[in-house]
Formats: sequence, structure tokens, C-alpha cells
Amino acid sequence: MKIKFISILVLCLLTMPLQAQVDRSKMPMPGEAPQIHLGVPATFKLDNGLKVLVVENHERSKVMAKLIIDNKPYPEGYKAGTKALYAWVMGTGTQKIDKDAFNERIDFLGGQVNYNAEGAYASALTKYFPEVFGLMAKGLLHPKFTQTEFYDQKKRLIRNIKATQTSAKAVAEHIQAALTYGKHHPYGEFKTVETVKNVHLADVKSYYNNFITPKNAYLVVVGDITLLEVKNLVKKYFSEWIKTVPPIVSLPQVHSAQYTQINFVNMPNAVQSIIAVVNPIHLQKTSSDYFAALIANQILGGGTSGRLFTKLREDKGYTYSAHSSITDDKYVSRFKATTSVRNAVTDSAVIALLNEIKHIRNKKVTTQELQLAKAKYAGTFVRGLESPSAVADFALNIETENLPPDFYRNYLKHIDAVTVAEVQQAAQKYFKLNHARIVIVGNGPAVAPYLEQLTFNGKKLPVKYFNTKGERIEKPAYAEVEITSDTTNVGISAGLVYHKYIGAIGGEEAVQNVSSIYAKYTGYIGPRAITLLVKQTKDNKSLKKIEFGDILIQKIVFDGENGHVKIGETKRAFTSDELEAAKQQTDLFPELEVPETAKVAGTEMINGQKAYVVIVSKKKTNYYSVDSGLKLRTLIQTPKGAKVINYTKYKTVNGVKFPFEVSKAFGTQSIVFKAQEILVNQNVSTADFK
Amino acid sequence: MTKIGLCIGAFLLAFAGFAQEINFTEYNLNNGLHVILHQDNDAPVVAVGVMYHVGAKDEAPDRSGFAHFFEHLLFGGTKYIDKGDWYKIISSHGGFSNANTTQDRTYYYEVLPANNLKLALWMESERMLHPVIDQGGVNTQAKVVKEEKRMRIDNAPYGRLRYGEVINTYLFKNHPYKSTVIGTMEDVEAAKLSEFKAFFDKYYVPNNAVLVVAGDIDKQQAKAWIEAYFSEIPSGDTVPRVQVSEPPVNGPIKATEYDPNIRIPVKVLAYRTPGRSAHDTYVLNMISTLLTDGKSSWMHQALVDKQEIALAVLDLYRTYEDYGIYVIGALPMNNVPLDSLTKAMDAQIHRLKTELISEQEYQKLLNTMENRLANSYITQKNIANALAAFYIYYDGQTGLINKQLEAYKKITRQEIKEAANKYFTKNERLNLNYLPGSGAKNTKNKES
Repeated sequence: MKIKFISILVLCLLTMPLQAQVDRSKMPMPGEAPQIHLGVPATFKLDNGLKVLVVENHERSKVMAKLIIDNKPYPEGYKAGTKALYAWVMGTGTQKIDKDAFNERIDFLGGQVNYNAEGAYASALTKYFPEVFGLMAKGLLHPKFTQTEFYDQKKRLIRNIKATQTSAKAVAEHIQAALTYGKHHPYGEFKTVETVKNVHLADVKSYYNNFITPKNAYLVVVGDITLLEVKNLVKKYFSEWIKTVPPIVSLPQVHSAQYTQINFVNMPNAVQSIIAVVNPIHLQKTSSDYFAALIANQILGGGTSGRLFTKLREDKGYTYSAHSSITDDKYVSRFKATTSVRNAVTDSAVIALLNEIKHIRNKKVTTQELQLAKAKYAGTFVRGLESPSAVADFALNIETENLPPDFYRNYLKHIDAVTVAEVQQAAQKYFKLNHARIVIVGNGPAVAPYLEQLTFNGKKLPVKYFNTKGERIEKPAYAEVEITSDTTNVGISAGLVYHKYIGAIGGEEAVQNVSSIYAKYTGYIGPRAITLLVKQTKDNKSLKKIEFGDILIQKIVFDGENGHVKIGETKRAFTSDELEAAKQQTDLFPELEVPETAKVAGTEMINGQKAYVVIVSKKKTNYYSVDSGLKLRTLIQTPKGAKVINYTKYKTVNGVKFPFEVSKAFGTQSIVFKAQEILVNQNVSTADFK
Repeated sequence: MTKIGLCIGAFLLAFAGFAQEINFTEYNLNNGLHVILHQDNDAPVVAVGVMYHVGAKDEAPDRSGFAHFFEHLLFGGTKYIDKGDWYKIISSHGGFSNANTTQDRTYYYEVLPANNLKLALWMESERMLHPVIDQGGVNTQAKVVKEEKRMRIDNAPYGRLRYGEVINTYLFKNHPYKSTVIGTMEDVEAAKLSEFKAFFDKYYVPNNAVLVVAGDIDKQQAKAWIEAYFSEIPSGDTVPRVQVSEPPVNGPIKATEYDPNIRIPVKVLAYRTPGRSAHDTYVLNMISTLLTDGKSSWMHQALVDKQEIALAVLDLYRTYEDYGIYVIGALPMNNVPLDSLTKAMDAQIHRLKTELISEQEYQKLLNTMENRLANSYITQKNIANALAAFYIYYDGQTGLINKQLEAYKKITRQEIKEAANKYFTKNERLNLNYLPGSGAKNTKNKES
């Protein structure tokens, strides 16, 4: 009791003083979590079923009204496009007012009126709102469906569809939906020129008569208006709206893929591959693990701090952006992890995406990650409350999705309560690694042969081919249209060879932990010992020193910005070519990044081992063992001839394998260097590079 | 007791609402820092912004781009905030942070859940008191700013036009507005570390800044924290202001500029107008709306709808502290010669100079302006920015933010006609062909 009393006293004292003392050497702690004051909208219902929600907000003298008809989705089938056409012919006047007069009046009043397939929208200054609202209502209840207007809009829609046919992005979006939900599900079907041609004015009228009904309709009014005023307006304009019952349509079942597979669609003009790992899910706001699912997705692929962004963009440079999304819906929704990458790294990016999904399923996220994700989510939610329509949207969701009335008031609490274990459970439930579709829209000849070779978790990833309509097709014979004659079809991309190599020397994590390398090699020219000392750092500083016994032959130093060469006693700065070359070196292990130019040219036998030949640039070719993945040789073209460097005797230092024998051959000369010592993160300091 | 308090509060709130006003309190700290507080407890969000009265126009003549570059530097870290931690701290508290620089002022801000007000005040006070300005930061930001310039201007279709680069260079001969905000990388790269430090000491002083806190705050608490974090920052010398007046534009100026990122050229007509605080700014805002805003605007109707000679019309009205620029333009349909676009645009301007606009049109304009005002200042972020800008641009008269509609309503049809005659003269304008391609050499001579 006593303690409690004291703490209340302390609390009072804390909030009292005006001259707050602060210690600016310490970051201030957040205050108590903000209270969410959510207004409850006033509601009323018309006899015809229309339910009205009113949120008074008198801060600005304006009002907006949104009508939503919450019908169960139904498939449009061979007349896909009917709803789109309906929305487009709406607002082109009413039975009594022609199109121009209708629009001019709204413009004059500075208002806005729109229609869509499931509702309408109106907004205006308070003083003009009644008139603008009336125009919206008249447009909705007494539309003028003329053949001319219908024909014009149909032409426009067909033109739009044609314009997007060459867009890989548009194709990817509808293919992803079609393959996730199935072509016959309303969420999976899409309109084509053919289906739009099948739509007639009668279909639009029949959609209007069947589905635009007050039965499942909600009208949300937000702004500088009173409940009484809304009641009068709504009664005046919407009482006459006649209730009909929309036809009941059952929805096809939606299933996940039986096994994880690649679904490939060829877009011959694509310079990038759009990859999406998708699976349908059943997630509602009422699901017990709803918040855990949101957080799991946030950690995996939410924004620029998500793992996908960090891994695929920041670490690997495959893409400008990579993220994932998870949606909730009354009927069915989906999980999707997506990225757009250049052709050469398509196969590697698929593996990277799957690896991240696997990782978040198999290993618990850290508490730090969880905290960050929660903070971001909570921040976004809180900042979203600034929108005056947020309260109305929440109220509408509570109505239409059967949520408890305090759902949004407790939103932050729910977010905060999510645990590491729940995140993992949600990841395992909603990110379906074994039943995923990897939908790829890209350049067939350039990427499909590599995809055919992909394995994940020791299993081959089967590739199924589809056309842009979402129909399964036979595997196309891409060989005939092979674009590069110098690329032997070895079935692997440079990116994957690099990936294998990094895996072979110890894996990415171990490799990333190397921030400097110290290596000392000794070789013999005739009887004389030659020492080669190399120091290198991750931020691209390097030192190479060659000594004959005690005599310094050559020293090359580069500090990341400038470099010099010392031969004997003479010292000179780098030439611009040398500087350029030095600056291009980006990492201790160049294989961490796949350059645009890198190509697998085929296989060759190197010292008895079969090796992939990777042409990195005109000057440089690397060879990697097909079996072990290790780098066997580098070939450098110089104006004086080829220089060959062979790597053998790999040994592990600090979890990373290094070649302990490096032989350099140039012209007739060949020296075998044996490592005396290789140290990781030791014996290197900034002073070495001065 | 509590109940009564609540009722009165609700009543006052409703009353303030009808008045359409952005309520605020303002005062000065002893070191000259001006503080503006706007309390709105509707949503638990707070925006904190600091606007420094320094921009590109305050740069040395051979240091274009300096002020904007400096803005980037000030995200580098402070005595107590490690380098690279700025954005991490903000996002791990559920907020976001950014900054921008114009010709006249530099603005830093963050938006956070309201329980992090103290954090934001700490960070902004650290930036004002303890920024780390070092060569490492300069080197890093040089790369970032180069990319920004590429993205916004060099690689962006119509970028050189949108950012005024191809306009200001012709309309200003003496005033620093002749250079762009982003400037040239050569100038910035030539700058020494000592220059950055001197710039900070001269301009980034509390007596040259305004701090705005907007949102879900307790004013007493906010004041106490502001005092605690900001009052120890020493004030600086009186900050000098740019005092350069331009002689009238000696034109007409005819010029050609090129943009490798575009396929369709633009015909551009540009005029010099007065600075933001001038009354005529309101008149020109109305003219700009009348000429190009929406499908029922004069230029759209004439050039796009009726004559079908233009694909689109555009308008760029930018008001700086000392001057403004008013730009209209049109993109030709197919092979329509650019000169026909000039003629068509001139016809609309002639109409504006010789006829009074109709009562109906006048009323529609007022409706549009009122609607626009009602739709501005929705978020705390926008409110904070606007309050700071009114304070800086209107010489401390922050309250003018609530007099805008009144100002529009006072403007007569006659005034609109007079303003058109005053500012839209052929002899004082730039007539520019903005063409696709790289153009070996840009030409500049008098209109024939």
C-alpha cells in the first residue's frame, strides 16, 4: 500500500514541473503509450435496408459521403468487364440532366462525384454538400444508360486492355491472381478484349438491377454536418431506392498448390523477371493469429526494414525492391512475396526468396526484430488515425466484418501482445513453403532454362508453363530463339555459380563476417625465396608487398580513394586506369555480387575437375568446380598475354575456406605460392594503407 | 467538475471549428528561437519541425547547391546521436523524418506517435546544438546528392523545367534565384570543411529558426521540454538577408533548351512576379487556377478541347521570398508548330487582359479556392509546415494563415484583369522552346 502511495506521489511530481531537467546525453524514453480515442459513429437505417454511419467532424467546413454495397463477389465469367463498364457509364448524366450539365454543375460547386462497381462517392464544401450529394444520388438511382455512351466506354476499355498487354507488370498482376485463386474465382478472373466484346448494354443494366440495391448497402458520411441534416438528406434522396435481393452465387473452392512449383509466363520483351511467391490463405481480422500474421509479414517483407529488402537489395543488389504482403478478407485472401530482378539473377532470386520464407518459418525472430516491427506497425496505425475518414472506415469494417466493437480501440494492445513464438506459428501457417506457387513473368529464352535446373531443399522445383491468359501450355522450345550464341546451355546462371561458391567456402554469414584478410605466401624462383604479403579490408583498402629475401621489390597500396605503387625506392601514384580498377573491386569476395556482365560460357576440365566457365568481363574469366563449387582458376587477359592463377588446397580459417596454394603463371614463368599464414580480422590496421 | 470541464472543452472545440481556424500559440525563447504550438488532440500524432531561414539564395555565388547539400549533412549525427542512427531511431519509434530545402528556407521535420514528442525535441535540439560536420559525412553525402540530382533532374522527363532550371537562369540576372537549389556538384565538391562549419555558425542559430510542434500535445509539458532542450543553445549574430533587386526583364527573351529524357517538346512562356508576401500572389493564384486548373480551365478548353492543338497544358507558379515566377506551357499535338501554341496561349492572356471574367466564373473560382483551403492542412505534418512557412515568409505574421479565404474574397474581377495587364507583358517575358534531345549548344537571343 505504502509503495503504491509513493509512486502516485512521484507520478504527480513528475507531471507537475515546468522547468523540466533533461540529460541530453541520453535518448528520451517514450511516454506512456498513446490513448486511442475513437469516436463511435451515429447510425440509422432506412426501411429499404440502407445503413447510414455518421461521423461529425466540424474542424473543416466540408463533408464527404461514401456508399459501399457489400455484395458477395461473383464471377463474371465470359463477360468479365461488365462491372468495369457499369462503373464507367455511371456519372454520365441522369434521366433528367444531361452529362455536360451534370459535370459542369459539380465543377462549379468545387465538388467531386465518382462511381465504382460497388458504390459511389461525393464530397464538397459544407454549404454545397446537399446539392452535390443530391447529384450523386440522382446519378445512382436514375442513371441514363445510352447505347452511344456505352459504346464509347467499351471502346475505351478495350483500348486500355490492349495498351497493357505488353506490360509485364500488368500481365504479372493478373496472372498471379489467376494462379492463386483460380481463373473462375472472382478474385482470379480478369477481363480480356474477348470478354469485354461479349458485354452488351443489357448486361450492364442487368448488373445494375441485380446488384445495386440497398440490401447490403452502407452509407458513410463524415464531416461538418449534423446527424439530423444527414437523416433529412438521406431520406430525401434514398427512401425511394427499392430493395431487391441480389442473386446468390456460390464461390469456387480455392486451394494451395499441391507442391511447390514454378509457374512461368513468357514475355518476350521483358528485361526483368517479376517473381512472386504466392499462396491463398484464410485470414480474417477476427482470426486469433491476425496480429501475429501481420507482424510476421512485417518482419519478412514489410518496407525497407523487412528481411527481403535487406537481403535481396542491400546485401545482394539483385533488385530495387523486394517485399511481401498479407491480406485479410471475408472469403479468401493471399500471401505474396515479390521482387523484380534482372534476367541474370532470376534463379538466384527465387532461391533467396524461398530461403527467407524458410528462415522465418524455421527460426524464431529476434526480440529486437519483433520490437522494431511492432513499433513500425503501431506508428503506421497511429499516424493513420489522422485521416478524418479513419473512424468511418473502422466503423464500416466493424459492421461488415463482424468485429467486436472495441477492435480498433484495442488494436495497439493486440499488436503489443504478439510474441516471438506466435510470429513463428503464423509464419508456418500462412507462408506455405511446401505449397507455394512461384509465379514468374519474364523472358523465356533468357531465364527459363536456368529455372529448369533449380532445386530447393534437395528437391527439384518443377516448372510449369502458362500463357498470358493463364492457360497451361506445353514447355516451349526456347532453344530456337536462343539469343546469345556464345552461351552454351549449361543450365545454370552466373548468379547461382557464385551462390554455390559462397556456400562452398563457408556460407554467406561466415563470409560476411570477414572484415579483413592477412595472408603471407612464399614461392621460389630458382633457389631464391619470394614473399608475397597481402592485406585487404572489406571497405576496399589493400596492400600488396613482394619481397626477395629482405629486398622490397614492389609495394602497392590503395586506401579506398587513392593508391600508389612503390618499386624499389621510387614511388608513384596510381594511373587513372589503375585507380578505376582498384575502385571497382567492391568486396573481399567479389562473388557476393553478380555483375550485369557475368555469364556462364560452358564447362571445361581444369586440373582434372569439371568446372563452370564464368566470363566476368572482357578481361576476366573465373572457373568454378561443378562438384565442390570452389573456385579453381582465374584467367586475366592483359595486353601482354593471359595470366593464369590456380587455386588449390583450400583450408578453413575462421569458418571460411581459403586456397593455401596459389600458382601464378604468366608467359613461360610459373610460381607456386604456398600460404605461410592466413588470418581473418587480425594483423590489419588502417595504418597499413598509408 | 470534470464533466463540466469536458463540456466547455467540447463547446470551445466546436466553436473553433466553425471559425475554420488553425489555432496556435507562439512565443520566443531567450535565445531568439521562435516557437509555435498547435494543439489538436484528435489523433495521437505529433509533428515537430524546425525551419531555418536560410536557403539556396544565401549561398556564395560560386557555391550553388551548398544549402541543400548542407541539409543532407545535418542527418549525419550529433554529439549524442551516432552517425547513421537518425533514421533508425525515428523508425524504431514508429515515425518518419525528412527535410527539404528551397531558395529561401530549410525545413527539417519528424512525425511520430504523440508519446515521442520528447524524443523529437531532443533530436532537433541536438541538430541545432551539436551536429557532427566532418569530411566523412561530406564524402558520403556527395554520392547521395549526385544520385538525387540524377533522379530528380538529369534522368527525369521535364526535370529541368519542373525544377525551374531552364526558367530562372533567364528571368534573373543578379539575384541568386538564377541558380537552382540542387546546384552543381562541382561547386559543392570545391567547398572546404571550414565553409560548412562557418555556414552552420552563421545561419543555424536559434534566432534564425522557428520550431513548430503540432498535434496531440499538452502545451505546458511541451513548453517545459522545449525550454529544457533548446534554451541552452547560444544565439548567434543577426543574420544578414540577401538584398538584390532585379531590373525589369529586358526582353522578350527567346531561348531553346534541351532535355534528353523527353519525346514531346513544350512551349513555355514565363514571367517574373512579386514575392510571396505580396497581395498579388493571391490574385495570381486565382489566375493560375482559371487558366490551367482542370478540364474546364481556359487554356485546357481552348488548346486541348476546341482547337485540338495541344496534348496538355501546364502551369507552374512558384513564389519565393523576394520574387516569383509564373510559367504557362503547352505540349503540342502531333506536328503542331510551337509558334501556334504561343499564339493560342497569347489569345487567352489577351482575353484575360481585356475582358472581365464572368460572375459565374468568378464564383466558381472562389468555390475552388475555398474547397482547396478546406482540403489543405489535414495532417499535423502539413499544419506544422504551413505555420512555419507563414512565420518565415510573412515576416512573423503567422496569423495570416487564417486570413487566406478572406483575402481571396476581397479580390475583385477588376483586380484580376489589372494583374494580368501588370505582369503579363511580352517585353518582359521568356519565350522558351523546351525540346527533346541534347542540343549541342543552347541559344539565347531576343524574340524576333
